[in-house]
Amino acid sequence: MEEKNAKEIKEFVRERYAEIARQHTPSCCAPPIEEGPSCCSPSIVETNPAHRLYSSEELESIAANIPSLGCGNPVALSELREKQVVLDLGSGGGLDCFLAAQRVGPKGKIIGLDMTPDMVRLARANAQNLSLANVEFRLGEMEHMPVESDSVDVVISNCVINLSPDKDAVFREIFRVLNPGGKLCVSDIVTHGELPAQIRDSLDQWACCVAGALDEQVYLDKIRAAGFVELKVDGVDSPICGEDTCCGSESPEGNKIASITVQACKPK
Amino acid sequence: MKRDLMEILACPVCKGSLKLTVDEEDEKEIIKGSLYCEDCSVTYPIEETIPNLLPPELHK
Repeated sequence: MEEKNAKEIKEFVRERYAEIARQHTPSCCAPPIEEGPSCCSPSIVETNPAHRLYSSEELESIAANIPSLGCGNPVALSELREKQVVLDLGSGGGLDCFLAAQRVGPKGKIIGLDMTPDMVRLARANAQNLSLANVEFRLGEMEHMPVESDSVDVVISNCVINLSPDKDAVFREIFRVLNPGGKLCVSDIVTHGELPAQIRDSLDQWACCVAGALDEQVYLDKIRAAGFVELKVDGVDSPICGEDTCCGSESPEGNKIASITVQACKPK
Repeated sequence: MKRDLMEILACPVCKGSLKLTVDEEDEKEIIKGSLYCEDCSVTYPIEETIPNLLPPELHK
């Protein structure tokens, strides 16, 4: 199987998510387009898989048209405390950042990192609408985080790390930026068994969170290899996005695709 | 970008510290400016309050 070029994958993913962001950015002359294209694709709160991932109270607390592109609810499991510094990798429209911001309070800090300029602009506009002062967004890559070492209490991420062509680098970077004793809490797509070549080779399937997904054990081994300890996995095998034919179900070859939320610690 | 964010910012390539230059700022945050990494000789722009800290080859 021919491995896709990392740069090619990133460009494709960036363009796909830029398009999603643009669809959710209201313009002065036209209403936002309400339906995103496909899998893992965003839709607004009323119609979307967000209801499977977030409680009604959580969604009502963020009364905004924010696309949910996640496959879990890492904030709910991350046991955030007041004053903590939280980094969200692939922050998208900002939904998880805004939920996290409520938990860490005004003295806490949330930083959303995303490699798509349109997404960062959308997230910033959403933060302004919500008048949240403790959330900041920056353009950057999770393989090359623009973040000081040992400076973050909790790293969260929701259905994003699978999109990276270099997951080892991502987990190494997470480990680096966390404070000793800091915590990783990520929801992501994994497989049970290897994906067939024609799926893994498809850029479409990559941007759809499927082709880049690793076997669960491989994924967990990469987290351990970065230095993390005390891994805890919560699994969700039921469909986790709106499309029955995509991440939530099975690939045509019957490989099981699942969503998990992994928690792990950087040793003190 | 708020000034207190500088505490945890680093160059995405060498992880060294960045030097802030402010061109425009309001009471809340920096609207336009740049972040410079001396070790890499790279400038990262801040536009519309958002710092662009993508690795240099991805700057557009």
